[in-house]
Amino acid sequence: MASALELFVNTVRNSSAEGSYRDLCDYLNKSSELLLKNATHLDNVLETLDIQQHSLAILAILCAKFNVPAAAAQSNRYAQAQEFILGCNGEHIRLAPDMFAELCHSITLYLLEQKQAIRGIMLLKKAISKLQYYDTQLTSIHADFCQLSLVAKCFKETLKVLDIDITGMCQENTQNGPFDAKYYLLYYYYGGMIYLAVRNLERALYFFEVCITTPALAVSHIMMEAYRKYILVSLLSYGKVQMIPKYTAQVVTRFIKPISQPYHDLANAYASNKSVELSAVVAKNAEVYTRDRNMGLVNQVVAMMHKKNIQRLTKTFLTLSLGDVASRVGLESPSDAEIIILHMIEDGQIYATINQKDGMVVFRDEPEKYKKYMKLEAQLISCMELDRQILAMDEEIQVNPQYVKKVAGLQDDEQSSKNTYAM
Amino acid sequence: MPTAMVLESIDKLAEELERQELEAPNGVATTQVYEQLLAIYLYQNDLCNAKCLWKRIPANIKSSTAELGQIWAVGQHMWKREFPQIYKALTAVKWSDIVAEIMKHVQDKVRLRAVDLISHAYSSITLETVAQMTGLTVEVAGAACIEKGWHIEADTRMVHPVRPSPEPSGHISSEDQLYKLTDFVSFLEN
Amino acid sequence: MPLPLQYNLYQSSVEPMQVDAPTEDNDNNEEETYTVENPSLDLDVYSNSYTGLAKLYRLIYIVNHCPSLRLEALKMAITYVMTTYNVNLYQMLHQKLSEITSSAGLPDIAVQPGSSQDVPAIDGSWMESRSKKAAMKLEKLDTDLKNYKSNSIKESIRRGHDDLGDHYLDCGDLSNALKCYSRARDYCTSGKHVVNMCMNVIKVSVYLQNWSHVLSYVSKAESTPDFTEMQTKDSNQHIVTKLKCAAGLADLATKKYKSAAKNFLLANLDHCDFPELISPNNVAMYGGLCALATFDRHELQKNVIFSSSFKLFLELEPQLRDIILKFYESKYASCLKLLEEIKDNLLLDMYIAAHVNTLYMQIRNRALIQYFSPYLSADMRKMATAFNRTVNALEDELMQLILEGQIQARIDSHNKILFAKDVDQRSTTFEKTLQMGKEYQRRTRMLILRAAVLKNKIHVKSPQRETSGQSGEITVAPGTSSVARN
Repeated sequence: MASALELFVNTVRNSSAEGSYRDLCDYLNKSSELLLKNATHLDNVLETLDIQQHSLAILAILCAKFNVPAAAAQSNRYAQAQEFILGCNGEHIRLAPDMFAELCHSITLYLLEQKQAIRGIMLLKKAISKLQYYDTQLTSIHADFCQLSLVAKCFKETLKVLDIDITGMCQENTQNGPFDAKYYLLYYYYGGMIYLAVRNLERALYFFEVCITTPALAVSHIMMEAYRKYILVSLLSYGKVQMIPKYTAQVVTRFIKPISQPYHDLANAYASNKSVELSAVVAKNAEVYTRDRNMGLVNQVVAMMHKKNIQRLTKTFLTLSLGDVASRVGLESPSDAEIIILHMIEDGQIYATINQKDGMVVFRDEPEKYKKYMKLEAQLISCMELDRQILAMDEEIQVNPQYVKKVAGLQDDEQSSKNTYAM
Repeated sequence: MPTAMVLESIDKLAEELERQELEAPNGVATTQVYEQLLAIYLYQNDLCNAKCLWKRIPANIKSSTAELGQIWAVGQHMWKREFPQIYKALTAVKWSDIVAEIMKHVQDKVRLRAVDLISHAYSSITLETVAQMTGLTVEVAGAACIEKGWHIEADTRMVHPVRPSPEPSGHISSEDQLYKLTDFVSFLEN
Repeated sequence: MPLPLQYNLYQSSVEPMQVDAPTEDNDNNEEETYTVENPSLDLDVYSNSYTGLAKLYRLIYIVNHCPSLRLEALKMAITYVMTTYNVNLYQMLHQKLSEITSSAGLPDIAVQPGSSQDVPAIDGSWMESRSKKAAMKLEKLDTDLKNYKSNSIKESIRRGHDDLGDHYLDCGDLSNALKCYSRARDYCTSGKHVVNMCMNVIKVSVYLQNWSHVLSYVSKAESTPDFTEMQTKDSNQHIVTKLKCAAGLADLATKKYKSAAKNFLLANLDHCDFPELISPNNVAMYGGLCALATFDRHELQKNVIFSSSFKLFLELEPQLRDIILKFYESKYASCLKLLEEIKDNLLLDMYIAAHVNTLYMQIRNRALIQYFSPYLSADMRKMATAFNRTVNALEDELMQLILEGQIQARIDSHNKILFAKDVDQRSTTFEKTLQMGKEYQRRTRMLILRAAVLKNKIHVKSPQRETSGQSGEITVAPGTSSVARN
C-alpha cells in the first residue's frame, strides 16, 4: 500500500520538477482509484507536497478526500481545501479545470450539508478567479457560487460576479462536451433568482431569457422553471409577455409552453387590465403557483396591476379625483389610491401631485429631462464598447483558418454552380 | 466599535462588517456585527439587503438578542412605508450603545425622505398628515413648515408645500464635452 | 361568421336534426343568439337579388335571426329549394317550419292569423322522385365523364368535371362539387379555362366560408397569363369585378376591413352581376362601411365620394350615401343616427352581421378623432351631446383612444375638458433613443454570449438522464423563492 503511495509522490515530484504538467494531469486522472483506496494515508502524502509546486497533485488528493464515503471522511478536509484554493498555483490548476471544478462542487455539497453555505461565498469567488483566464469567462463553479449565496441569502458579493457579462466558457471538457449545459443553465437560473431577490427585474429577465434560449433537444426542468419565471418577470417589468427570440429551441414552444398554461392564463388576464379577472385566475391556479414556488411573484404581479392601471390613467388624464382613480383602478377607497400614488411618486413611476384639499390628483409630464442626456451619454459609451467587442470577434472569425477555408471553398462552389447554370 | 462614528465612515463600516460576516468561523458572526449591519442597511434604505440579512441571522441569535428584532421591526415598517409606525418603533426602544447612533441617523434619514416626498407629491396636504409623516407633533411640524417657507392656511390648516426646483444639470467642462462629442461622431460615422 | 347549416350541408350524409348544432367555432356562438325585431327589409326584393345557394343561405340566416320574417323567409326558401336537387335542405327547411308552426306560443305566429293554412306540407313523393332524378343525373354525368376519359379528349373531360360539379352543387353537396371543379384543373388548355376553374372553386369556397381558399384562388386567377392580356376586353371586366368582390368578402370575413374596402371599391357596377355570390347593394354596403371605418379623410374623399364608379353603387343605397356624406361634412350626430337606423338590416346580412359592431365602433372612433383634430381643447359636455353619449361614457371612450395613441390628448376630468397634448418631440426622441440603445445592448450582449454557447456546443440533450438529474439539482436550493417573494 504505502509503496504505491510512495511511487505516486515520486512521480508527482519528478513530473513537477521537469515541468511536464500535462503528463502529470494524465497520470493523476489515472490515479484517482489508488488515492481513494488509500484514503486514510492521504494526509501523510499531503505533508510531503508543496502547495505552489504540486498544486495538481494536492488537487487530486483533495478530490479523493471528498469522494470517500461520508462515514470515512476526515474532518480536516474542508480546512485543507480552503487553504488549497486560497494558496494554489492558478497556472497549474487551469490545466485540470475539470478536477478543480469537481473539488468546488464537492465543497458546495459539503457546505450545503453542513448548513454553512455562507462560508463558501468568498472561497468560491476566489476559486472562480483562480480558474478563469479572463473575468468574463464562465466556469461551472459559477453555478455553485450562486447556489450557495441563494441558500445563504447573501448576495452582495455574488452580484459583483453576476454583473459581469459572460463572453466565453472555461474548457472543462466534461463528458457532455466542453462545458456542461447543466451548469450553464443552473448559473443563469440561480442568477435570475438572485436578481429577483434584490429586485433587479431587468437583469433577472435577461438571465431567464438566456436560460430559455439555450439550445435544447429535450425538455429541461430548469428551462421550464425559468420559462415560468420569465413570464412573470416579463409581466412585472413590461406589463406583457415579451416575445421570445426566434432562435429559441423548438422544445420551448412545443413542450414547455403547453404545460405552462396557468401562467399564460395569468398573462392574458393581466393584459385585460381588469383586476377582477386577474384575481379570478390567481384564485383558480393558486395551487399550481404555490407548488411551483411562484406565488410570491404572482402576488407581485397582482399588486403591479393597480400600478399599471394608474400609469395608464396618467397617460390619459390631466386631473382626476382620488375617488375616480380608486373606482377606475378597482381600489376600495380614495385613501388606498392616495397611498399607492404616493408610493409611485416616490419610486419615480409616475409624475403627479396630490391635492388633499379637494381630493384631486394632477398628473404631470416627466420633469428633470436633463437626466436623460446624461444617460444617453453613458449608453453611447457602452454601445461603442460593445461595438468594439463585436468587431474584435468578427476579426477573430475572419482570421480563423477553418472559416477562411470554408468561405474560400464556398466561393469555388458558387463559381462552379454558376457555371453549370451558364451551361 | 468606534463610538464617535462619522457619517462618511458608515459605508466603510458596512463593508467591514460584511467582510466579517462572510469570514466568520462556521458562518456565524457576532451579535454586534449583525445588529450594526442591519441598522446600517436601514440607514442606507437598502431594505432588500436588510431583509436578506434578517433571514440569514441564525434563529438562536435572534431569540437571544431582543434588540435585533426591534431593529428589524423598524425595517418592516420602512418596507411597508408606514411613516407613523416607523417613528413609533424607533422611539419605543432605548437603543444600546452598539446601534444608538446609527438608529438616530436612521430616524433623521427617514424624516428627510418624508419631507422630500411631501414637497414632491403634494400641492396641498393637511398639517396632521405632515405631522404623521415626519413623526413630529402638530405644533413642531407647523413651525417647521413655516420655516421651510410652506404656506399654511389658517382656517383649514392646509399646508401648501413648495416644490424644490430641479437642480441644473451637472456642469461639465466644455473641453471635456467637445472631446466626448468628437468621440461619438467619429464612432457614428464609421 | 356563423353558418351552422353548412357544417352539415357539405357533408352529404346530412342529419337534418342537427341543423342548430353549433359550429366548431366557439367564438361565434355569441353572435348567433341575437334576434332582430324590426327590420325594414323588403324580403321579396332581397330574395330576388340572389340565386342558388346564396339565396338559400341568406334566407336561412334571416330565419334564424328574425322572428317577424321567419315564416315568410322559410316559405320562400322552400319554394326555391324545390327548383333544385337539394333534397336534404328541403327536408331540413320543413323540419324548421314544423318547429315554428307547432310552437304556437310564438307571438309572431299569433299575429298572422290563418297562416297555418298557407304552410306547405312536406312532400314525401317529391323528395323521393327528386332524389331518384338526382341519382340518375349523377349516374349519367359519371358515365359521360368516363367515356370522355377513355377517349382522352381534354376539353370534354374538363367540361364533364364542370358539369358534375354543377350537379353536386345543385344537390347541395359542396365538398364533392369542390372536388370536381378542382379536378377540372388538370384539363385546362387555356388561360380562360384556368380562370373559369378558379371562379368555380371560389364560388364553392365562398359557400364553404373557406376564405383562405377564396383568396388563394383569386390570386391564382389574377396571375393567369392570359388574364392580364384580356384585361382590356369588356367581358373581362365582369371577371375582374367578380374576383374583387370575392376577395372583398374574404377580407371582410377575416376582419381585414381596409383591404376589403379597397377590393369592393374596384368593382364596376355595369359588370356586377353574379347573384349566386353577392348583390350590387351588398358591394355598396360592405365597401362603404369598411371604407368609412378604415379610410382617413383624404382617402374617403378621393376613393369613395369622388369615385365615379363607386358613386353608382352608392346610388343603390341612398341611406349609406347620406351617412358617408354626413360623416365627411363632420355632422357626426346625424351620421351616427343614420347608422343606427340601418343597423337592424345589416344584422340580417349573413356576411356583415358579425362585423357590424366592430365597424360601427371604428367609425365612431374615427368620428371622435376627426371631431377633436382641429382643437387645442374641447368641452367634453358639448362633445358628449354631439356624439349622443353621457359625459362619463365619452370619457371612457376617449380614454381608450388616448391609450391606443389615436388621439394625442389628455382629459381634465375635474373640469371635463379635453386638452390636446403637445408632444415634446425632443423629449420623446430622447426617450426612444434610450430605449433603442438599451435594447441594442441587451441583444448584443446576448448575441456574444450565444456565440460562446454555440462555440462550446452547449445544449440540453439525452432526455431521461438529463431531466432526472436536473430536477434534483433544482430542488437543492430550497426556500429560494421565498427570498424572491419580497
